[in-house]
Amino acid sequence: MRTPLSAAVAIIVGLLILAGYFFPFGPLLSLKNTLIQWAMILAGFALLVGVVNLIKVHWIKIRKRSPGSIYSLILIISLAVTIVVAGYFGPVASSSLWIFNNVQVPVETSLLALLSVLLIYVVVRLLRRRPDSISILFIATVFLVLLGTAPLFFIGEVRVLTVIRNFIVQVPAVAGARGILLGVALGAIATGIRILTGADRPYGG
Amino acid sequence: MNLNNLFGFIFVLVCFGLVIYFGVAARNRQARAWREIPAFGKLRRAVGLAVEAGTRLHISIGRGAINSPQGASGLAGTVLLERLARAASIGDRPPIATSGDGSLGILSQDTLRSAYRVMGVENQYDPNSGRVAGLTPFSFTAGTMPIIRDEQVSISVLAGNFGSEAVLMTDAAERSGSPTIGGTDNLSGQAVLYAAADETLIGEEVFAGGAYLGAGPMHEASLTMQDFVRALIVLLMIIASALNLIGIDIIK
Repeated sequence: MRTPLSAAVAIIVGLLILAGYFFPFGPLLSLKNTLIQWAMILAGFALLVGVVNLIKVHWIKIRKRSPGSIYSLILIISLAVTIVVAGYFGPVASSSLWIFNNVQVPVETSLLALLSVLLIYVVVRLLRRRPDSISILFIATVFLVLLGTAPLFFIGEVRVLTVIRNFIVQVPAVAGARGILLGVALGAIATGIRILTGADRPYGG
Repeated sequence: MNLNNLFGFIFVLVCFGLVIYFGVAARNRQARAWREIPAFGKLRRAVGLAVEAGTRLHISIGRGAINSPQGASGLAGTVLLERLARAASIGDRPPIATSGDGSLGILSQDTLRSAYRVMGVENQYDPNSGRVAGLTPFSFTAGTMPIIRDEQVSISVLAGNFGSEAVLMTDAAERSGSPTIGGTDNLSGQAVLYAAADETLIGEEVFAGGAYLGAGPMHEASLTMQDFVRALIVLLMIIASALNLIGIDIIK
């Protein structure tokens, strides 16, 4: 489906859903709910397409014997085993949950642990890459908040650090976060308006 | 009718009207000079270098599904992807787009194809250049890291919804000697990218890519609208605070 039909469908559906949000009664509400249900079904299919894309890319890597293709093979085998087990026994069966609890959770937890170490390394690297006053302020804030968040070894809670931490978290951090979120919200509205006017057509139009 | 809904409707209507007004006004005058955002300057230079050196651009549009509140940042990422794919389409190696959601994966493929079609090189389009790297935050990150490391990527652009796990991607990029430009709508992700990426897009800058990379008058108009409405909101907040100080609470 190419321009202008795809653009027309996207714009009309977008406007109807927007109208359904602001005027949630009568046929507009039921139309909005129906369209959202259709979108959920399409998102499910998109997920399936995503999995197929993932398999295809890794299959090509295995065929070409690209560097690290052994990991692609492991990915495809793991995916096949998970699909068979969860498809046959159901997603909440003990065998499916065993895979989730003993494979996915430990792997993701390990990555999370790696992340915490990496964050410290990144903070040190920041000083090397951008040694300016803003970086020093950033790092000082990070350390003050960290020190004030948990009790220190052998010392316990340091009252003054907790007070400083609470001030940073409740006043400047909230003010900054609200400013950033305001910008993000306006950006999201602007993106929505561009799509509703057909100026942006990420659907190949 | 709910008063909040009415205010929301009027707000969106005002924003819509302002975009149209600034869009029409932009056609009748010279292009506006925007403030310098170092990330976009670096991006323009990196595209030129990638084309000359025969290396690849990697653009990740995150994992904000389009049917979720984070979808807007993913859509903003597709705008960047489209502009960069156009600029890099004359290179030897096509750009790679990664995402962490099925719908974004389809959109990235469609965006790449449409960019190649516009540039008249649709035969060079490779459907595998738009990839779904994983479907959970960490699997998406783990799937993206080898792409940055193994596929001769000269610069990585992260524009979309990323959490703090994005630091693993910036680390992979640093180890392979390529810089990263990162922007996200996620607050913790932004803090991490500020420290880890070579250039960061803060807040609404993620949504400004189209205007800065010449995507057309509507992008410039929407950015002008953002600036105008933000100034208006700040003014209203100051007035409300001042009134509150003298005992008048207009929020009630």
